[in-house]
Amino acid sequence: MALAKTIGTRLLRQFSKTLSSNRSITHRIHDDDLTCRYECFFNREDIDGWDIRQGMNDLLGYEGVPEPSVIIAALHACRRVNDYAMTVRFLEAVKDRCGHKVNEIYPYIVQEIAPTLCELGCDVPETLCYHVPELFLKTVFE
Amino acid sequence: MAGRLLSMRALPLRVSFQKASMSDMRSIIGNREIVGFGYNGQPNYADRPDFPLPAIRWKESTADIQALREKEKGDWRKLSLEEKKALYRASFCQTFSEMKAPTGEWKSVIGCALMLMSLGFWGYYFMKTFVYGPLPESFKEENRSAQLRRIIDLQVNPIQGLGSKWDYEKDEWKK
Repeated sequence: MALAKTIGTRLLRQFSKTLSSNRSITHRIHDDDLTCRYECFFNREDIDGWDIRQGMNDLLGYEGVPEPSVIIAALHACRRVNDYAMTVRFLEAVKDRCGHKVNEIYPYIVQEIAPTLCELGCDVPETLCYHVPELFLKTVFE
Repeated sequence: MAGRLLSMRALPLRVSFQKASMSDMRSIIGNREIVGFGYNGQPNYADRPDFPLPAIRWKESTADIQALREKEKGDWRKLSLEEKKALYRASFCQTFSEMKAPTGEWKSVIGCALMLMSLGFWGYYFMKTFVYGPLPESFKEENRSAQLRRIIDLQVNPIQGLGSKWDYEKDEWKK
């Protein structure tokens, strides 16, 4: 009885913690020190594809949308290593990070990075029609 | 952060009986370019929304892809839409929208569950018809009303239960 009660209270505390942390962190654009660190990381002149991918995977692992300045730095980094596909993938992932607030956050992001897109010749996934599924993958079970 | 990553790369891949060695991985992945850490450090490919950039490119390097890469080094505005799509598909298998597209699997799951439930119902009907014996006498209506009369006479649960609902002066249910 006492064991069940402790398990119950522990579960409740964890559940409420995730709820409250969701409310405060999810879909909030990052705070400054994180932004600065990632911007400096992507702005390194000698960065290579490996580090960019590592940085992007880490950045997109946070429960929030990256700041436009970080996105711009990452796009410039991709340009330096001459990898176009990475830019599209990164923008797709940023849109995915917006969660259910896509219609509020994503247009703002696109508006902020539009000059960079023009300058580098990058595209948003919508230009390539990748915002809807294009190809179908057969399952391995067939 | 970058320094730590560099030192991780400098460590040789230890050959153990559990981990696949580099030569095994090479024979699995063929000519594909290893471009990153991926989600677990192994040179594998997986379309995951939480790790968008996998460790290897999707397609092996062929001559036409190499030609595209040369063009990629120049101005991206000069690439046509098909070339851009080809570059994307060379590095990645599925786009995010394809990855996250609904499969409709829930319909088959619910369908199978309901079919199994109906088998259960058929099983019960079979048991009722052929296996179970008849219900005892005490289930008949007159037996049950006699039992109820006896319960009332014994004043069972007189405070909050059945006895409290019976009016003992008028010998009927309380209104």
